[in-house]
Amino acid sequence: MPSKMSSQTGLSRLGAQLAPILIVCAIVFALPLVLNNDFLLNKVARYLVLGILTVSLALSWGFGGILNLGQAMSFGIGSYAMAMALKLKTVPVHTGPGGLPDFMVWNNVARLPWFWEPFKSLGFALAAGIILPALVAAALGWFIFRSRVTGVYVSIMTLATMVVLNLVIIDQQSYTGGFNGITDLAQLEVFGIVFDTYSRATFYLVASCVTLSLLVAFAFTRTKAGLVVQAIRDHESRVRYFGYDVAAYQIFVFALSAAIAGLAGMLYTIVMEFASPTFLGVQLSLSVVVWCAVGGRQSLVGAFLGAVLVAGMQGALSESAAFLETWTLIMGALFVLVVLFLPKGLAGLAHDIWLWIAQRPHAVQDTALGVGQTREGST
Amino acid sequence: MTPYLELRNVSVSFNGFKALNEFNMSVSKGELRCLIGPNGAGKTTALDIICGKVKPSAGSVVFDGTALEGLEEHRIARAGVGRKFQVPSVFRDLTVAENLEVARAHRPGVWANLRWDARRSGRKDIERLAQLISLTEHLDRPAAYLSHGQTQWLEIGMLVAQDAELILMDEPTAGMTAQETRKTAELFARLKGKHTLLVVEHDMGFVKAIGDVISVMHLGQLLAEGTAAEVEEHPEVRRAYLGSGGITNA
Repeated sequence: MPSKMSSQTGLSRLGAQLAPILIVCAIVFALPLVLNNDFLLNKVARYLVLGILTVSLALSWGFGGILNLGQAMSFGIGSYAMAMALKLKTVPVHTGPGGLPDFMVWNNVARLPWFWEPFKSLGFALAAGIILPALVAAALGWFIFRSRVTGVYVSIMTLATMVVLNLVIIDQQSYTGGFNGITDLAQLEVFGIVFDTYSRATFYLVASCVTLSLLVAFAFTRTKAGLVVQAIRDHESRVRYFGYDVAAYQIFVFALSAAIAGLAGMLYTIVMEFASPTFLGVQLSLSVVVWCAVGGRQSLVGAFLGAVLVAGMQGALSESAAFLETWTLIMGALFVLVVLFLPKGLAGLAHDIWLWIAQRPHAVQDTALGVGQTREGST
Repeated sequence: MTPYLELRNVSVSFNGFKALNEFNMSVSKGELRCLIGPNGAGKTTALDIICGKVKPSAGSVVFDGTALEGLEEHRIARAGVGRKFQVPSVFRDLTVAENLEVARAHRPGVWANLRWDARRSGRKDIERLAQLISLTEHLDRPAAYLSHGQTQWLEIGMLVAQDAELILMDEPTAGMTAQETRKTAELFARLKGKHTLLVVEHDMGFVKAIGDVISVMHLGQLLAEGTAAEVEEHPEVRRAYLGSGGITNA
């Protein structure tokens, strides 16, 4: 009997955790019905993509305890993988022989560099945009976690690695487009569907990837491996003395998180129609941390909504001249306030409110009972 | 009979302080051995050496035919060594059931634990365990809400869940009430025989209740070994405890 009861609570807990994800995804898919404006939908799609990026950070930070300040590096790699493939598909206007990208012609590059060759295949690029960030993260994670580096040092190393890659991309202008990034891209075309940035197809592609990312991340947290990762966050050495190879689990969640960030990066290129070194810049990478903290890093949906809300607010406010410069100040203040008063972010706040509402009927009953008893006592 | 666990001439020093100095000890299979000694005798360090937290500067540790001293902690754990720490170490943000589930580390690999059914199989065992450590009502609450004694029990339960052949316990009854201590002694009696236990403890009442053979350490060395009565009469032991009111009040 007890086992039956507990398996029921287990199921209802699964439902309680899955419901917010499904509701949010349903709302995302329904947005085009309400927002009948392609320009606005494109803007929303951009925030949704940043939401996926923030979900990926929630996975490594909130669940794995690994504060990756270079999360945008994986995002940038995914973005460049997509941009390189789409650049090679452009109709050569300014190009040299063999469809050489225009910026290479300007930089007197005669032949397509070897690392650009495989990106002639769209299939390769789509796979690379996810697998490459995961491999880079796994390699970096191998050095970090095998050496048992923890805490703030992990953050410094991830941030530094991202800055190095950022500088290399800016410096190697003839192969990467340098500071300008890779612009004038073709539109992605898969199975005859053209993903014009202002089309419904692109919005639904983003919405599908939002759903996929949230569900994959959620599924992982429900596996035993996901549980071990959370245990490592709470007490790393304790996990080790049960026989788990802690570094292997950390490398895995680090790489999984990077893969999701890579997917977000690819979508960002489609939505923005270019790739830029700012996509793996310090400012974006730190913004993701703020979004994640505001939304609630231990909640996947919370982190997603945190990004959409704050980035959306930023987008709306920075259109007026008054907030263009002060925005970063507002963002900093927001971060400090959340850290001080809402350590579990908006998701934690929502959870507390939910508990309060759920317990209220009992509270009312109790007081009613109490009143009755005093009356009996007085008569 | 060859010993199940053997520490041979183990030395380790921290900044010149010799925590263990040519320490020798052997434990046979199924035994419940208590390790006592004045503060700074090196009891916790001895456990640290066995579970791999501290590497010896000299000497060897052999467990069931395997040399442990060169292995990483998780490899030692997989060889069958479990450890309970002096400061109760549980996963505070996870529920009691989840804590026990993590401890059931029969398949420690990442890929094996990505399978959906990896978590389903163990619920029955976890409920049985929860009954053993009197935490059935707390199964789905975060471990952070448990009292100190309950946290100690949870960690002991996690070691039972781990099902290690050799269990190292560092002051398992610290902070427990007399009643809780008595219950813990009962629990240990049940574990004896099936598991081999090595228990560091200050509470002599508890030691007398559970232990067959007691090893006394002093200044990083083995001072005496025998039953409680033998050890208490031992002249060297009396000298080591001199001034601290004798062994019973240490």
